Amino acid sequence: MIRRPVLRPTLPAALLAAVVSTSGLLSGCTGAPAAESAPHTSAEPPVTVTSCGHEVTVAEPPTDVVTLNQGATEVVLALGLADQLAGTAYLDDAVPGKWRAAYDAVPVLSAEYPTNEQLLAARPDFVYASYASAFEPAVAGTQEDLAAAGVGAYLSPFGCPEAEDRPGASFEAVWDEVADVATALGHPEAAERLRDQQGEQLADLRSAAAGEGLDVLWWDGGTKSPNVGAGDGGPQLVLDAVGATNVFADLPGSWAEGSWEDVLSADPDVIVLVDAAWDPAADKRAYLESDPVLQGLTAVREQRYAVVPFSASTAGVRLVDGAAALAAQLDELGLDG
Amino acid sequence: MSPWGARGRTGRGLLALGALAVLLGSCAVALGVGSVDVPVARVLAVVARRAGAGDLDVTLLEDQLVWQLRLPRVLGAVAVGAVLAACGAVLQSLTRNDLADPFLLGVSSGAGVGAVSVIVLGVGVGGLAAGAVLPAAAFAGALAALAAVLLVASAGGGALRPHRTVLAGVAVAHLCGAYTSVVVIMHGQGDAARRVLAWTLGSLAGLRWGSALVLLAAAVVALVWFLAYAERLDAFAFGETSARSLGVPVTATRWVLMVGTALVTATTVAYAGAIGFVGLVVPHLVRPLVGSRHRVLLPASAVAGAVLLVWADTAARSLVEGQEVPIGALTALIGVPVLVWLMARRVAA
Repeated sequence: MIRRPVLRPTLPAALLAAVVSTSGLLSGCTGAPAAESAPHTSAEPPVTVTSCGHEVTVAEPPTDVVTLNQGATEVVLALGLADQLAGTAYLDDAVPGKWRAAYDAVPVLSAEYPTNEQLLAARPDFVYASYASAFEPAVAGTQEDLAAAGVGAYLSPFGCPEAEDRPGASFEAVWDEVADVATALGHPEAAERLRDQQGEQLADLRSAAAGEGLDVLWWDGGTKSPNVGAGDGGPQLVLDAVGATNVFADLPGSWAEGSWEDVLSADPDVIVLVDAAWDPAADKRAYLESDPVLQGLTAVREQRYAVVPFSASTAGVRLVDGAAALAAQLDELGLDG
Repeated sequence: MSPWGARGRTGRGLLALGALAVLLGSCAVALGVGSVDVPVARVLAVVARRAGAGDLDVTLLEDQLVWQLRLPRVLGAVAVGAVLAACGAVLQSLTRNDLADPFLLGVSSGAGVGAVSVIVLGVGVGGLAAGAVLPAAAFAGALAALAAVLLVASAGGGALRPHRTVLAGVAVAHLCGAYTSVVVIMHGQGDAARRVLAWTLGSLAGLRWGSALVLLAAAVVALVWFLAYAERLDAFAFGETSARSLGVPVTATRWVLMVGTALVTATTVAYAGAIGFVGLVVPHLVRPLVGSRHRVLLPASAVAGAVLLVWADTAARSLVEGQEVPIGALTALIGVPVLVWLMARRVAA
């Protein structure tokens, strides 16, 4: 063993050494280990889908997709592509029974948003989210950062941060998003199947017109003043699908602040109580029946309520189910408009 | 002293009449405003019929709108405005602090703890309807915070010295605020954060007869009670030593008035949230007009507070169609310019 004379560096020299070695690390002398990506094997050319002005190019159908937010998770479940999921996160309420088994087979990363580390630990090759908040640095990181790391990142057009990028709520827009996702996941035919099936269901609902001639209040929540389904969103689409009239159809947006005065003067035939984990339909009903003024509404006196889950009232794959559930309940009430 | 002092009894009587007329007029205008159009004549018919003026032709809808929805709300605004302004006047004298307001003793932040526990965590109370849980929890939270403040402030003597009480109030308020933020950030689901914020900013929306009557009763009791202490409050204005030498039991008076103002304020917060600025500003606006004798200052503040809140609430529900503007924002919007003008005038003089 050769002993070299030890030179005690003076302070500036030590500093210099520290700076040099750190910058060496940063500039990638060693660098991060190479991603262990499989070589491009499929014969298919890469596909590109775009949302919110962000292009996602996928060379290979991803096999480790992580979905954030319930809407995104349900799109993949509806497509029957759950076996390509590596993880899901952030439910608002329950996943419906028909997809329950497929959902339970996929690891749930976290109850709400996962931390950046939890997400990375799932080793996703594609991240699909409903809301822009999912791509904040503390959660998944920006779509650009993910793209740089070779991870596709698709944000639902309904969740675009810029309002002008968001499509108006329509079944077509829902199906377009589903088609984008199915294409990115390498199964465009699954989207066509879903579109055909939902289109047929919708046509049946429209011709049955269970809500024909009925004035409906879509009450989303809020007791001091009601937050109601307005003229341009999921609630309006559901009401249109069953042929009912929204008493707040003239308010702009998907949901809006209504007033009890207007509710009283419209005296709706039926009240839709939205059921959400944080504000159950049963509480809404109890409020209506205990309020000295609102208990005078015809719909309250005659107990004409319909319950629709919140997640079936947002622009997504369960909107048709929401319409079907409403139609069934209106049939049961047996009203003649 | 005051511009009205010289004119004596008649001057004050006229002022009182004028103030009441303004208050009644404001209420009448407020009753006619809403998202559904009810003509003035129909509004009057509804009120007249309910007042027993015979079998007037009034539709059920008109009665529901005017008598069952709007009137409780307007009366609630009168009661809350009167209580907050009178409490502000009392506490400003008691602590000799121009910045004292009814929430001095941590009442609003304590109520916030109760409200957040219900709104976000869904804490329920057995045997209470969902609509009644929130006011009950807010009131309980306010009482707990008040107890904590009194405990801290009276430790070592029990004299409730003003500066000590103010500090204790600030400390407890910050603790409650921390709890509120943590619960909203960690457990907030859906639009919980928005609902908590809306509650914190205060609102008279959704007041029905039951709660309006409770508020009115609280206002009447509070005013009569505070008026009984008017002369002692006058003595406090010259400082604690002078008050003592005038024979005022300083400590006992402080306890009674601080706890009393906190209790009535907590009642308003339970139903309407913490509506800021009324209690702070109205006494300052009224003093230059009527002087600082509490026998006049207290009722004058109450009427002015009531008028301010009736107008702020009317603006809150009618300024933006389809949306309620937070009433706390409006009281500030109306109150701040007036206060600034007053301050400028005082400097000039």
